[in-house]
Amino acid sequence: MIVSAPMRSQVRPLGIDVRNLSKAFGLVLALDDVSFSVRPGEFVSIVGPSGCGKTTLLKIIAGLIRPDQGVVEIGGLPINGPGPERAMVFQDFALMPWATVLRNAAFGLEVRGVPRKEREELARSVLAKVGLSGFENYYPHQLSGGMQQRVGLARALAVNPQILLMDEPFASVDEQTRRILQDDLLKVWADERKTVVFVTHSMDEAIYLSDRVFVLSPRPGRLVRVLDVNLPRPRSSKETRGSVLFAKLVEDLWEVLREMQ
Amino acid sequence: MRKRLLVWSLRALVLVFALLLWEWAGRIPISFAFPTATATGRALIDLLRSGELPDGWRSTGHALLLGYGMALVTGVPLGLLMGLVPPLGRIARVYLEVLIVMPMAALVPLVILTMGVNIRASATIVFIFSMPFVAINAYGGMRDVDPVLIEMARAFNARWFHIVRAIVLPGALPMILAGARYGLARAFIGLVVAELLLSPFGVGHLIMDTRSTFEFDKMFATVLSMLLVAVMLLSGAQHLESRVLRWRRRGEEGGLQ
Amino acid sequence: MKRACRYKKILDRLPTALAIVLFAGAMEVVGRYDFSLFLPRFSTIMRTLWNLVMVGPLWEAILRSVDSFVMGVTPAAVGGILAGLVLGRYPLIAAVFDPFIGFIMSAPLPTFVPVLIVLFGVGRVVVLLTVFLFAFFIILVNTRAGVEGTRRSLVDMARSYGASEVQVLAKVYLPSALPSIATGLRLGIINGFKGLIIAEMMLGLGGLGRLLAQYANVYLISHLYAVVLTVMGMALVGAYVVQALDGLFIRWK
Repeated sequence: MIVSAPMRSQVRPLGIDVRNLSKAFGLVLALDDVSFSVRPGEFVSIVGPSGCGKTTLLKIIAGLIRPDQGVVEIGGLPINGPGPERAMVFQDFALMPWATVLRNAAFGLEVRGVPRKEREELARSVLAKVGLSGFENYYPHQLSGGMQQRVGLARALAVNPQILLMDEPFASVDEQTRRILQDDLLKVWADERKTVVFVTHSMDEAIYLSDRVFVLSPRPGRLVRVLDVNLPRPRSSKETRGSVLFAKLVEDLWEVLREMQ
Repeated sequence: MRKRLLVWSLRALVLVFALLLWEWAGRIPISFAFPTATATGRALIDLLRSGELPDGWRSTGHALLLGYGMALVTGVPLGLLMGLVPPLGRIARVYLEVLIVMPMAALVPLVILTMGVNIRASATIVFIFSMPFVAINAYGGMRDVDPVLIEMARAFNARWFHIVRAIVLPGALPMILAGARYGLARAFIGLVVAELLLSPFGVGHLIMDTRSTFEFDKMFATVLSMLLVAVMLLSGAQHLESRVLRWRRRGEEGGLQ
Repeated sequence: MKRACRYKKILDRLPTALAIVLFAGAMEVVGRYDFSLFLPRFSTIMRTLWNLVMVGPLWEAILRSVDSFVMGVTPAAVGGILAGLVLGRYPLIAAVFDPFIGFIMSAPLPTFVPVLIVLFGVGRVVVLLTVFLFAFFIILVNTRAGVEGTRRSLVDMARSYGASEVQVLAKVYLPSALPSIATGLRLGIINGFKGLIIAEMMLGLGGLGRLLAQYANVYLISHLYAVVLTVMGMALVGAYVVQALDGLFIRWK
């Protein structure tokens, strides 16, 4: 029985408030006065053309980069670097090639000083949740891309975050695996309600997964549109993707993006 | 821009600090023999003016040129041959790898005994230090060549000689040049070892001589001259190498147009 | 299939064995012709070697050389890895020291031996320092390259989970750099041994280098060859051992 980590059902998701965020790299203005709010438990996507600062924005929310101007508040409190309430999933999986799947999944806990037996138990349970039971002693290079990303997801879930930050997590896998991972993600999310900020290139993916979609313009990165996605939940590939509303929303999104080119 | 300024000023600071430390160490003195930085600088100018240094470098330079030249002339073709004739490559490679790992200084007494104490012996020592590195890098370059390109050329019925000239040599060039550069560094090492152990003439002799006459400022100045010449020649070789390789790459791009 | 694999392994070792046998054989044959005082027979050399080890000073010299070597290489390894970690992790510091490191890497290191003698007198310290110098910078440069090659996303990942600076260094940078560190250690050890011989030859205090100089001085040719072969053998054994350790590290990458 795991005692030190809070019982999963008791963890409430938190809201994110982004206000007047600006960030420049040298002479390039990556983000220009970006403001928005994410409600607790909401699933939002950030889309936009390459170089529009999506990843920068996510990293600022994660606490990895300091903005030049503006604040990010989580649960009403301004952030100052990474925190235990947020966990990130990376596009290239960011798995340590020299560690087993188990150790990789337990990494977030290891960093926080959770004793070995406990963190291994926790890691095993999240790995089971993402469907990787039995692979604990494999090394990343022995797994497919989709499985590697599941490890990345397990690692994020293991620290029981209230906010999940995902940086184009399914961009490096093939289309079929992508769809499977999307559904798995939705399932996990339905299970333990977290606030999710999901960066993606894919309009289809953004509409399919989210409650709202934020559109960013490139250089400088500005928030140009917010789309509400009123598709019913739970979503499924057949029903949701087949619906007329879905197609319309994707087209609307495409219109916005196309205008930017 | 600001960062570059910071880096350069910190570098200057480190250099100045090191020089001051040297100067202070000489004045304490850290050992009765240790000359200060300024004394060394002055001695360097004296040696240059008196002609002792240039004289020393004349014979040393001879040994270096002779030994390194021979290393290039034998090492590069050997490496190329090893690449062209794989069984020879496999066997010769074993010997070369032994020579590379082996402390060549251990062979110096043998060379001295068989050849005496003269420029020829010095050049030979430079040669044995340098050649294995030149050869093995040239060999490596040969093995680097893209087999797909060779296949392509053969598909076009190109003659063997043409393939070597147009595909193999250019493909192997980067590593051949790198080997020449390593070989030069090794040549200097061999030169110094030879000079310090043989030393009837040349820069090494000057070093040992000034040491035995307790003229330590001159000794350090001579050591400094050796360091400076080596570093300058090697960085020159580096620049030459990048220039040649860049030109090659641009030449390839030009060909595509 | 398995038998073929075993045969292949033997075939791979064949050139090496062949080369050694060829060399020894050539020396033996040439020696028999008595071309010169300086080309003794291989068997003579081996006999002398045996004598030197059993009743002569060779064994003691080997021990002393190995001792000096270990004393010089160990701080070089520890220091080189630590310094390499720092330089690789903090590009600003690296940029400041770059030209100086470049200078030393281009400089012929034996040049520093007379300088060290002036500084520290004719003592064993100079031998240790020479070994250190020869090994330290190579280990440093390789470690640094390994650290610099660490994947950015791994560092971000660790930081995003709240890892402190020390944790990131130990858990991400260091393991990521391990293959390069192994290479650096291998090259550093080989080079350190070269420094050892050079220093011992120039100082004449003890160890294999001194024996080389001694036997050359009194024209004991077979003795000289025997010591040369010993040095060669040690270098080869050392290189082989280090290579094997290297392979161990690469295993999980």
